[in-house]
Amino acid sequence: METMNKLGRILLVEDDPKDVELTLTALEDYNLANEVVVARDGEHALDYLFCRGEYKMRSSDNPAVMLLDLKLPKVDGLEVLKQIKSDEKLRMIPVVVLTSSKEEKDMVASYKLGVNAYVVKPVDFHEFVNAIKELGAFWAVINEPPPGSVRK
Amino acid sequence: MAQPKLPSQFAHSALRYGLAVASFAVALGLALLAQYYGFRNVEVPLLLFGVAVTAWYAGPGPAALAVVLSIAFFDYFFTEPRYTFYVTSSDIPYLTVFISFALLVAWFSAVRRRVERDLRQARDDLQIEVAERTQQASLLNLTHDSIFVRDMDFAITYWNIGAQELYGWAAEDAIGKHSNHLLQTVFPAPLEDIQAELLRTGRWEGELKRTTAQGTTVVVVARYALRRDELERPVAILETSNDITERKRREQEIESLNLELAKRSTALEAINKELEAFAYSVSHDLRAPLRHVAGFTELLHKKASTVLDEKSNRYIAMILDSARRMGNLIDDLLAFSRIGRAETQKTLFSLTQLVREALTEVRQDAEGRNISWKIGTLPDFYGDRSMLRLVLVNLISNAIKFTRTRPQAEIEIGCANGDRDDLVVFVRDNGVGFDMKYVNKLFGVFQRLHQADEFEGTGIGLATVQRIIHRHGGKAWAEAVVEGGATFYFSAPKPRGLLWKP
Repeated sequence: METMNKLGRILLVEDDPKDVELTLTALEDYNLANEVVVARDGEHALDYLFCRGEYKMRSSDNPAVMLLDLKLPKVDGLEVLKQIKSDEKLRMIPVVVLTSSKEEKDMVASYKLGVNAYVVKPVDFHEFVNAIKELGAFWAVINEPPPGSVRK
Repeated sequence: MAQPKLPSQFAHSALRYGLAVASFAVALGLALLAQYYGFRNVEVPLLLFGVAVTAWYAGPGPAALAVVLSIAFFDYFFTEPRYTFYVTSSDIPYLTVFISFALLVAWFSAVRRRVERDLRQARDDLQIEVAERTQQASLLNLTHDSIFVRDMDFAITYWNIGAQELYGWAAEDAIGKHSNHLLQTVFPAPLEDIQAELLRTGRWEGELKRTTAQGTTVVVVARYALRRDELERPVAILETSNDITERKRREQEIESLNLELAKRSTALEAINKELEAFAYSVSHDLRAPLRHVAGFTELLHKKASTVLDEKSNRYIAMILDSARRMGNLIDDLLAFSRIGRAETQKTLFSLTQLVREALTEVRQDAEGRNISWKIGTLPDFYGDRSMLRLVLVNLISNAIKFTRTRPQAEIEIGCANGDRDDLVVFVRDNGVGFDMKYVNKLFGVFQRLHQADEFEGTGIGLATVQRIIHRHGGKAWAEAVVEGGATFYFSAPKPRGLLWKP
């Protein structure tokens, strides 16, 4: 499909399997789900990004966008964000914080660390689906990713 | 000694010269008498005696007169040629003896007088000093401070009225007693250290606990001063002390109150932290399952709505509605709790402009409605702009909501007559109003005066309004008539130093 050819790889960092399923469903509806890598905690996400642990063998290209939850087991979202933004190669990955938290301090902390967008997951499913769709479409399709990202 | 006045001084001089003449006359008479009875060579001592008496009692002037008279009449009566004042060379030794003797006696007399005068002076000085000291000692009794003196063996030697008043012992009971035993003094430091400091510096100051004659305990702040004699030996200690029992008690009270306050504020801080953590947790953790309920129900609806019967579909719709409602509730509750925690950032801004912004925000609610707006002239407002916008949005959307049943809604926003310090803003509608007997419930959290299916809402809006207005130092209140519309007011301090034009 046309869109699939343009689609970038999405790294979804989310610990809640229900949220993962809802997100994938939303992306699926708009044919954006094929290239989604799911990391279930912060450590897992960092392993993927730094090509270590179980991702030792993966090709070293960056995802086109990363959807990051803040409340994560082991290494939390803000810490993941900090490590990405302080790494020469990874800092170019667009990071969208996708979180339940409406807390201002989380938002401020995220922007200070250089997040590209901050989205509060809407409770309403339609709004949620719309938000995911628009995010996926914008970052994985419309946006021209930085060099070194995967784009099929 | 005061000098005698002139007339008496004159009389005094006459007396002195009279004494000279008299003593000379007596001596001469006695000498002539002795000569008459054949006693030889007694005239010189007799005349000298007369001179001596004069010199001693009457001073140099009369003494000189006595000498002159004695020499003259000695020459006249007792030296050859007799009965003349003719002076021969044999008279010279007599002359010399008379003059030297007179000088000697006059000198002695002068010395005596000087000594006498000095003594008198010393006596007078002493009298004055005694009088002064007596006065000073009585002054010490005027002071409210307790003052006493003790010697180096702690025996009390002086005890003023202040000491009597403070410790309850009269001076006659206290003097001679051992000060520390009498007063059962409790020192803040070992007595040896205090003594050492006193001997080294001459002073000591500290708080003492003592027991009065009545047996009550008093706390005093005492100041010791060491007195040394001329050989620098310590001889006495002067102690002044003030009763600080009451002050001490208050200090302790304040201290314990402060401690309590600190404890409470720590507890409050902990509670606030907990509350913040709670709000955060609500924000994050409560929302996720809710989103899942809504999300999967929606998916179920999408997948199965065609195979489910009408009732099941209605259940699904109700689940979704409840989830949405709970989402709104969580959002409003969090916003409400944030207002309590957030710092207000106050600026001066135009309320007219803010009302315009609020109207834009609630435009959606007013869509398809026939509302006549009446916006009065509004003053400038000093406060947190975003919080005030929330107030206006809440009040205006309420007005829109509760006029829903009116074919022609009327909403008025204006400025009522405040007083000198406060301005009053109101939002008036011609909606359904409410019964004034429930007015107390109006601003409470989760308090609703209408049924949920009649007018939707979370019951947090007016609580938020009140909280914001309270944080601005104002008041929020309402007036209404059932089915006769409602007016919501809020007041706030006028911007200082700025003229407000109605």
